[in-house]
Amino acid sequence: MTDITLEVNGTEKSLAVEPRRLLADVLRHEFGLSGVHIGCAHGACGCCTVHIDGVPKLSCLTFAVQCEGKAIATVESVGGPNAEHALQQAFKSEHGLQCGYCTPGFVMALIPFVNAMAAQKRMPDDDEIREAMSGNICRCTGYHGIVAAVRKAIGDQLAGEGN
Amino acid sequence: MRPSSFEYHKAADIEDAVRLLAEFGDEGRPIAGGQSLVPMMNLRLARPSHLVDINALALNDIEFDGQVMRIGALVRHERYASDPRVAKHFPAFMDAVHWIGHPTIRRNGSIGGSLSHADPTAELPAAAILYDASIVVRSVKGERRIAAVDFFESAYVTSLEPGELVVAVEFPLPPPGSTGSFMEIGERRGDFATASVGTALEFDGETITKAAIVCCGADLVAIRAPGIESFLVGKPLKAPQAEEAGKMFAAEVEPSSDHVASADYKRALIGELTRRAIETACARALESK
Repeated sequence: MTDITLEVNGTEKSLAVEPRRLLADVLRHEFGLSGVHIGCAHGACGCCTVHIDGVPKLSCLTFAVQCEGKAIATVESVGGPNAEHALQQAFKSEHGLQCGYCTPGFVMALIPFVNAMAAQKRMPDDDEIREAMSGNICRCTGYHGIVAAVRKAIGDQLAGEGN
Repeated sequence: MRPSSFEYHKAADIEDAVRLLAEFGDEGRPIAGGQSLVPMMNLRLARPSHLVDINALALNDIEFDGQVMRIGALVRHERYASDPRVAKHFPAFMDAVHWIGHPTIRRNGSIGGSLSHADPTAELPAAAILYDASIVVRSVKGERRIAAVDFFESAYVTSLEPGELVVAVEFPLPPPGSTGSFMEIGERRGDFATASVGTALEFDGETITKAAIVCCGADLVAIRAPGIESFLVGKPLKAPQAEEAGKMFAAEVEPSSDHVASADYKRALIGELTRRAIETACARALESK
């Protein structure tokens, strides 16, 4: 066992973990963050995407021992209990989810993309949006609703700035 | 599935890393981005007893010294997009990078990891073979350089000895104005390639003077095409006979059938990708004139 301290969603916690334990499992079991979904556990589906020091990373390809001293954010840190983040609201209004299993991964993978586009004051074309979400698999929606949600979230941010 | 047990060691610098790797030999593996190694460990296709984390090592630079582009082993794939020198000197390399996995993988995966993993259809090993790169490796015994063509021995097999660590890759700079391109077909965006072809061309006026072709999907490692390369020398950029070159190459390769594609289909793909890669490279050269 190795002693580590992780900062997860703003709260520090020290714990002893086996080096072989995946960050995804530690977040789910030791931190109770069930929004971290594990689909394939080998980096193919994107469900387990979290932010490490602000950067999207697959928590199934990361060992918890590697995250000592790093700031981790999961979907639980986004938008509060009512999922009020612009991207979460757009997923709802544009039918960007059905069963919801993949949704936390899409949200965490796409938030930096949405923010980057808003910062550049630019609406990406659909190909760019599809490229940005190409690491995430959804078996329900056929992706059209998700592309629409990303467009809406970026559009809302651009319109908000114009006001 | 989940990985089997291992001990975790965080290396402070290169000396520390090679000392640890020497101590563990066959039982130790370095880990950087983990984008190839951890899937293998989760599936228990790899079961190292010791992981040496090399992320703290000072191997993050892309340097140009007039002779070579030297890429530190920890440079992440997305970095090349923000360094215009890479696209300027190595257009096929830059094309190839765009085909690597997904944004999250490109943000975290490293060139040292991709080369050491040696997936037979991976883009960076193909780019290294195309541009006659040298892999720089370190161990407690010192440093040695391995030509890319000798580094990749088979699928997932390299000539790295136990205890050796890839620290950099050196790409000799082609003459100014050289052109190139890299094309790939996979089942899905970001998925493993069914086949890919890259080309790097040098020219004088509007005549090709030197050609390199690399292909993934035809064998257990990326292969060069010496016959097609010499066929292209002397051809004009405006009519390089790319279709003929593609047909010749397709007739020459011997891919094997798998669950994704038959050997015949792969052969046809390789021929077509060869045509497209040559035509795109030539068109780029003419555009920049």
